[in-house]
Amino acid sequence: MTEFLDLEIQDSVRMPWNVLPGTKAHAANCAIPIAAIYTPLKTLPEATPLLPYSPLRCRGCRSVINPFSIVDFSSVNKIWICSFCLQRNHFPPLYQSISEQNFPAELFPQYTTIEYETPAPQPQDKAQPGSTNVFLFVVDTCVIEEELSFLKSAMLQVLGMVPENCLIGLITFGTYVHVHELGFGLIPKIHVFKGTKEVTKDQLLDQMGFFTKRPRPTTGVIAGVRDGLSQESVGRFLLPASDCEFVLNSILEELQKDPWPVPSDQRAARCTGAALSLAAHLLGACVPGSGARIMAFLGGPSTEGPGTIVSKSLSEPIRSHKDLDKDSAPHYHKAVKFYEALSKQLVHQGHVLDVFACALDQVGVAELKVAVEKTGGLVVLAESFGHSVFKDSLRCIFQAGDHDLGLASNGIFEINCSKDIKVQGIIGPCASLDKKGPLCSETVIGQGNTTAWKLCGLDKNTSLCIVFDVAKKESPDIVSQSANNQFYFQFLTYYQHSNGQMRLRATTLSRRWVAGPGIKDELISGFDQEAAAVVMARQVSFKMETEAEFDPIRWLDKSLIHICTQFGEYQKDNPSSFGLSPRLSIFPQFMFHLRRSQFVQVFNNSPDETAYFRMILNRENVSNSVVMIQPSLISYAFNSGPEAALLDVVSIAADKILLLDSYFTIVVFHGASIAQWRKAGYHELPEHQAFAQLLQAPRSDTDAIIRERFPVPRLVICDQHGSQARFLLVKLNPSATYNSDTQAAPGGDIIFTDDVSFEVFSDHLQRLAVQ
Amino acid sequence: MATPRGPRPGAFPPNHNPNALANNLQNLQINLSNRQELSNASSGGQQPPPFATGQPCPPPSDAFQRGFAPPVAPGQSTLPPDAMPARPAGPTPVSQPLPFASRPPPPGVLPMGSAPPVAPGQSTLRPDAMPARPTGPTLESQPPSFASRPPPSGVLPSSIGGPAAPRPGPLGPPTPLQMFSNGPAGNGPPAFAPGMMQSGSRPPPPVSNLQRPPPPTMLSSQAPSQPLKTRPGFGGPPTFVSSSVGQPGPPFSTLPRGPMFPGSSNMPPPPGPLTPPPVQGTVQSSGHLHGMQSWPQQLPQVGLSSPTHGAMQLQQLMSGMPPGPPPFPNQSMAMGQTDPSQIDANHIPPYSSSSAVIQHETHMDNHANPPPPATSTYIVKDNGNCSPRYMRCTLNQVPCTVDILSKSKMQLALLVQPLALPHPSEEPIHVVDFGESGPVRCSRCKGYINPFMKFIDQGKRFICNLCGFTGEVPHEYQCNLGPDGRRRDADERPELCRGTVEFIAPEEYMVRDPMPAVFFFLVDVSMHAIQTGATAAACSAISQVIPNLPEGPRTMVAIATFDSTIHFYKLKCAQQQPSILIVPDVQDVYTPLTSDIVVQLDECREHLEILLDSIPGMFQDNRTTDSAFGAAAKAAFLAIKSTGGKLLVFQSILPSIGIGSLFARDAEGRSNTPAGEKEPHKLLQPVDKTLQTMADEFAEYQVCVDLFITTQTYVDVASLSVVPRTTGGQVYYYYPFSALSDLAKLSNDLRWNVTRPQGFEAVMRLRCSEGIQVQEYSGNYNNRNPADVDFPAIDCDKTIMVSLKYNDKLREESGCSFQCALLYTTIYGQRRIRVSTLFLPCTNNLTSLFVAPDLDTLFSCILKQAAKEMTSAPLSRVKDKATKVCINILHSYSMFCATKSSSALLMPEALKFLPLYTLALLKSHGLSSDGRIDERSFWLNYVSPLPTPSVIPLIYPRMIVIHDLDEKELEDSIIPAIIPLSSIHISDEGIYLLENGIDCLVYVGASVQQNVLTRLFGISSVEEISNQFMLQQYDNQLSKKLNDVLNEIRRQRCSYLRLKFCKKGDSSAEAMFLSNMVEDRMPSGAAYADFVALIRSEIRKKKA
Repeated sequence: MTEFLDLEIQDSVRMPWNVLPGTKAHAANCAIPIAAIYTPLKTLPEATPLLPYSPLRCRGCRSVINPFSIVDFSSVNKIWICSFCLQRNHFPPLYQSISEQNFPAELFPQYTTIEYETPAPQPQDKAQPGSTNVFLFVVDTCVIEEELSFLKSAMLQVLGMVPENCLIGLITFGTYVHVHELGFGLIPKIHVFKGTKEVTKDQLLDQMGFFTKRPRPTTGVIAGVRDGLSQESVGRFLLPASDCEFVLNSILEELQKDPWPVPSDQRAARCTGAALSLAAHLLGACVPGSGARIMAFLGGPSTEGPGTIVSKSLSEPIRSHKDLDKDSAPHYHKAVKFYEALSKQLVHQGHVLDVFACALDQVGVAELKVAVEKTGGLVVLAESFGHSVFKDSLRCIFQAGDHDLGLASNGIFEINCSKDIKVQGIIGPCASLDKKGPLCSETVIGQGNTTAWKLCGLDKNTSLCIVFDVAKKESPDIVSQSANNQFYFQFLTYYQHSNGQMRLRATTLSRRWVAGPGIKDELISGFDQEAAAVVMARQVSFKMETEAEFDPIRWLDKSLIHICTQFGEYQKDNPSSFGLSPRLSIFPQFMFHLRRSQFVQVFNNSPDETAYFRMILNRENVSNSVVMIQPSLISYAFNSGPEAALLDVVSIAADKILLLDSYFTIVVFHGASIAQWRKAGYHELPEHQAFAQLLQAPRSDTDAIIRERFPVPRLVICDQHGSQARFLLVKLNPSATYNSDTQAAPGGDIIFTDDVSFEVFSDHLQRLAVQ
Repeated sequence: MATPRGPRPGAFPPNHNPNALANNLQNLQINLSNRQELSNASSGGQQPPPFATGQPCPPPSDAFQRGFAPPVAPGQSTLPPDAMPARPAGPTPVSQPLPFASRPPPPGVLPMGSAPPVAPGQSTLRPDAMPARPTGPTLESQPPSFASRPPPSGVLPSSIGGPAAPRPGPLGPPTPLQMFSNGPAGNGPPAFAPGMMQSGSRPPPPVSNLQRPPPPTMLSSQAPSQPLKTRPGFGGPPTFVSSSVGQPGPPFSTLPRGPMFPGSSNMPPPPGPLTPPPVQGTVQSSGHLHGMQSWPQQLPQVGLSSPTHGAMQLQQLMSGMPPGPPPFPNQSMAMGQTDPSQIDANHIPPYSSSSAVIQHETHMDNHANPPPPATSTYIVKDNGNCSPRYMRCTLNQVPCTVDILSKSKMQLALLVQPLALPHPSEEPIHVVDFGESGPVRCSRCKGYINPFMKFIDQGKRFICNLCGFTGEVPHEYQCNLGPDGRRRDADERPELCRGTVEFIAPEEYMVRDPMPAVFFFLVDVSMHAIQTGATAAACSAISQVIPNLPEGPRTMVAIATFDSTIHFYKLKCAQQQPSILIVPDVQDVYTPLTSDIVVQLDECREHLEILLDSIPGMFQDNRTTDSAFGAAAKAAFLAIKSTGGKLLVFQSILPSIGIGSLFARDAEGRSNTPAGEKEPHKLLQPVDKTLQTMADEFAEYQVCVDLFITTQTYVDVASLSVVPRTTGGQVYYYYPFSALSDLAKLSNDLRWNVTRPQGFEAVMRLRCSEGIQVQEYSGNYNNRNPADVDFPAIDCDKTIMVSLKYNDKLREESGCSFQCALLYTTIYGQRRIRVSTLFLPCTNNLTSLFVAPDLDTLFSCILKQAAKEMTSAPLSRVKDKATKVCINILHSYSMFCATKSSSALLMPEALKFLPLYTLALLKSHGLSSDGRIDERSFWLNYVSPLPTPSVIPLIYPRMIVIHDLDEKELEDSIIPAIIPLSSIHISDEGIYLLENGIDCLVYVGASVQQNVLTRLFGISSVEEISNQFMLQQYDNQLSKKLNDVLNEIRRQRCSYLRLKFCKKGDSSAEAMFLSNMVEDRMPSGAAYADFVALIRSEIRKKKA
């Protein structure tokens, strides 16, 4: 296991199969696809240098020189051979001094991942918005006063944290969309757009007076200051944070709830779609191509205009999974279509949509998902603007220091790989750039049919799941014929660092492939079950969303049985003889929990929540994703230090504290006795220092987790038998239920469920696997 | 039986709220009166104490200042000149007692400020208002000065002074408001009424905190104060509210009507029946009593051909015949065979505005009294028939059959001006409250109870004078009949003894609560508007008028500006400062907020002031040349759709974008090419239906649009004017706009617009006796159903022409009645029904028909019809038609009535000016083919709702000599004698002033004495006069008089009149002036003499 972690540290990548099946047939037998979970901006080991020059590229395939390239020092001119296309390339004069003793960093074997910083050709002066980040706040005002004041205070707090050179804009909306002209000094000036109507970018340019002082160019696309707009007119809406702080503060302070009356039997008229569309147009007109984020603060469902998710009448409930299943949500497809178009526009402009959805009911995250995900936006779902999940997450975005998100923008991700490998696609927060080529597989998953993707927004945690396909056909002598049994992969990520510089990160991987009979053990040796579980999770989520009539349980079970059949040790038809290599041993458990997880059991959640969970799953790295699938459980007791506990109801004991981390929620669970003692106030007594420490230990660990995590998880502190304890119980393996034979141990607990326990599951699995 | 529920929605949809007008008027009056009083008092050294309520009384100057002082910098210099002089008192009016004569206070201010007042003052209408208002100028003779009033003096003064004191302006509203607020009923009078009703025994009305003198006092005071009416507050006279409920007692009921009104018996001894109209002898010492001649039996004839007639006419004149236009001096002309050129200018009747005040009783000896000429000054005593101010008929005797009428070639039509301003000395209109059941009405035709309803069966039943139906009298309204067949209480019940009364409308007449007074100002801020100063002028005018709006929570205001987008302003006071809300979509507009845009005035005064100050600056760099008028109006409409209200739009250029955008239909607006080129009259029609549709929607939601066009270019008035016309609004046209010289007019026009007596959400219907029915209404209104006329807003300056048709014969002995009922909401939110009933005799005799025409009215109808046709027919046809009308009438006369047959042109006395007016009409601006199309459109639009008294001066302007003002001693009038409009009266040494109700031209001859120039204009030579020349007052008699004259004119016209200087030699200006010399030969028409000759020969031809 650790070797995979080491590999991850070096190359930010986890693959289910680190030894690859060499042929199409073998790959098909593996059930889990050849894939890689790659975190493009993961922090590199400290020693890794940042190269202040542009990389050398292969003349043939444009791949970047890397440690796997063969360098021929012998010839006069010094030549390197591309590991992907075997093209021979000359070194440019700059490299004349290299020798076997004098390598450039990019050829060091340990620097398979390395970063280049291209000297930014930025002739424009600093004021140029092109080089700075832009934050356009889009604020929902159709919320109750209390929520609005929470939101205002959260925003006011954050405004002070925005870097001075960042540009800020503000749009508020309710029944109508209010575009605030922050640069109009005299009195607050607001452009009001109807919420029921979609405005085009051209209309917006006309109507907001972009051409009153300077005539409209007769031809060409209007795009920012470089093409057609005056700095002055752009500066009316987007101002450096330092210039507009005062104005913005006063606007926010006076911000009123949407004044339009709402009949008691109706929802407020909220035109989220129109507001977001206007925000996109505004950014598209003013700062196309430079890093900009639309930060949408939503307090309820869109009920008006494009992107409506529910009608105003309260008699119509907001769509549930059931409605979606039966295709009886009247607005769903229209809304999704609208947000798809919006996402295309944003991707084209290189802008990000972040959504902060804070409401007790749904706000339409399910519909917005496409726009958020394709632009690489952040999403936070909370019950209220006053909730720490929202407040702290928002602060996270703007905070500087070790725990900053490392927000980058305008990323482009490209893949090169050996010719026997094809790319099926990426499941993750990115959008296809439609760059088709021979590397594209015919089967497509996620964003496929391309070898280049746009990542409008990305950060340190953004992880892409790249799914490959082995193209090589089986042939008897394939092993012997092949001189080289390595597959190479190269991931190139161009992005704009938060400091404004353009960077390129290149990761080159080499993986051995095997073919022919008897490859089982070799494949097992390279199996990363965590990565596999995550890939399965992403895949199943994706299929549930895109494939009609898809039965996720059946699919997961089939895959699992297949794997067990393929890689287990057993005698046919003898379930008790079944055994799994340690490499695979906990994989069934992952699958068991995945089947029970929110990703598969969607009916316990609203479509918004499901969309939220999946969006996070699709952008997180392997270890975080594993926690989502199978939460970690730590037990604290007097006699021992914190120790990992079985995610099972049997772990509950009256004198223990349990810390459950299911990624979205962290539960601190006090056993019954602990709770009693605590209530009695023992921890405040000097003689019970130990108890106080025991109580404190899980809290400290919790704080550490929260600090590192975005979005900030919800913290639940509960006692055994308390109502909140359900947050823990739902995640535990129901080995003891109300109808099971075994009685709960004293101080333990049982779960009221009909779900099967892992033991039952495992029994069935063994039986089926050996058939 | 009349249904007890009297009010039948029939006529008026129940929903309309009647109301306010009355209040307005009252207010106005009050103020006026106050003002006057103030001046009186001060002169007497006795200032009336402020109102009991403690209303602060701003110095009268207040109004004044608003008018002028504030104006924009440039304005200052501008305005003042004219105005200032007038109001010497300017700033410190108080200290300066206005001479009585000057009464209309500051004429300068006038138009808006004071003028109106005057007017209103005149209107005295409401009982309440009545207060002591010495009738303006005329009343010099008025005995009662405040101080001198005996009884009232004690109490009265205070009360009177009170209300009055505060607002100098007509804007009295504030005061009244207060009063009202206290009173149960909105209006002064009404308030009183309830009091009475409820407790008959309670003399003093419980009402407001006003110190009302006990009724008796009032009455007595009233009597003395005659001319000065008691003020409404006093409940005194005005409050003639009769309560139909149980207590029928006449309001005045103090009268021992014993048995009938038990309640009343307790009352203190009443001062006797209603005091006679205030007027009476005392007052009008100067009045001509002849005013009321009965119908002359003989048919006066004016024969142009026979010199002898001259004498006769003269005689007639002397005898007080219709004072209107002075008789023709020139009848001596024998037009006969002699050359027409013989008619020389001297023969044209000098158009002296009869300075004499005519006393007019509407009904005498059971006969309708023919009304005085519309243009004269008269004081009406309403004793059964309604005052001619409210309703005039083209014929004062109604032909019994259609045959007679068609033979006469004259037209039967009514001009109705339901809210006309009364003369200050007139008795205010009584307000009658029938309580829940509403006014008594005929159960068949829904006609309202009026003095001509005949009671029979001991008062148990009544015969409707309109439809002849016999109905039951509601039980509580029954009363015994006297020996003369009249009800015994007829004299105590205003509805039975007054031609015009106002009923408080009960709930059934409302579909919703009466609407608040909403004022929405919409200002063009496009580049052109900013650069010409139009925006600044509009803002300045608005901020000056804000204080004149009625106070109180019912007054709502909003402001928005527009160029290619629409900018609303959030005025809510919680905000630190107003914010701008821009509506960018001018194709599909909306209002950006429901609340906070239209805000209670009291809550946003400060914001409003700041905003108005800063708007011109905010847009000073505006480079947007487009203007989205239609969209902006629509958006503003949406903002006030729920309540309705007034939308005042200031527009400076051709709307070029958004809904209802227009285009320059004729190059440069340079008008209609030579006649004959493809239908130039089409340019006078709206370009399409967009604005009409929009206007219809506005009207439906009770939104009235007034349009102030401050432009220097073509704006397509023809299309734009559709909106005001349909919504009961008005177009004001300032062309070419000059920020310097038009600011004063703009702000005064605006002030008059919002402060004049007016009502909202009004519905009007005219009922006629069986045999006649309404054929068509025309004026500024919206026609949702053919029977009723809907006005989102109606004011005292709006007249509706009602043409009538026969569907049966009338009986000569029964006479003919017309009843106009107007249901409206007062500015203070009370719903009222104003009912005016006109009873005219019928005749079968064509000859007597020719005695009876009311020339002013008849001609007004001809004019209005011509204006209407202008848009649909070629100019030449319109002109021909107008000429033919004149010829046909005169032909009919000479055919059927002329006593002698001669070749001379014979005319009935009453129609002697018909040819002159017709000629003037043919030469008028609207009918000239070379005018700018916009100006003509404006003219056509202006004419449509124009009241009769303003029609004549528009067509035949008033010209006076002003260089020798100080040499003449004028007796009654400030304005000197009028001289005929012929250039032979113009000399090079003279300076002349000519006014038509819109413009005022000052013509300066080439060789005027330098000393006159210096005294009048402060210049030494004619050359110093430029287009932008401003009139100022200098410290000398001549200059002072000129300013007095000017202010008097403004007061009379209720309009500021744009002053233009024309000096001889300046070709365009001189041409403009000379184009008004309608008796001269000019390109657009023949000389007067030639025209008369033409008519004569045409008639001869017809005879042959």
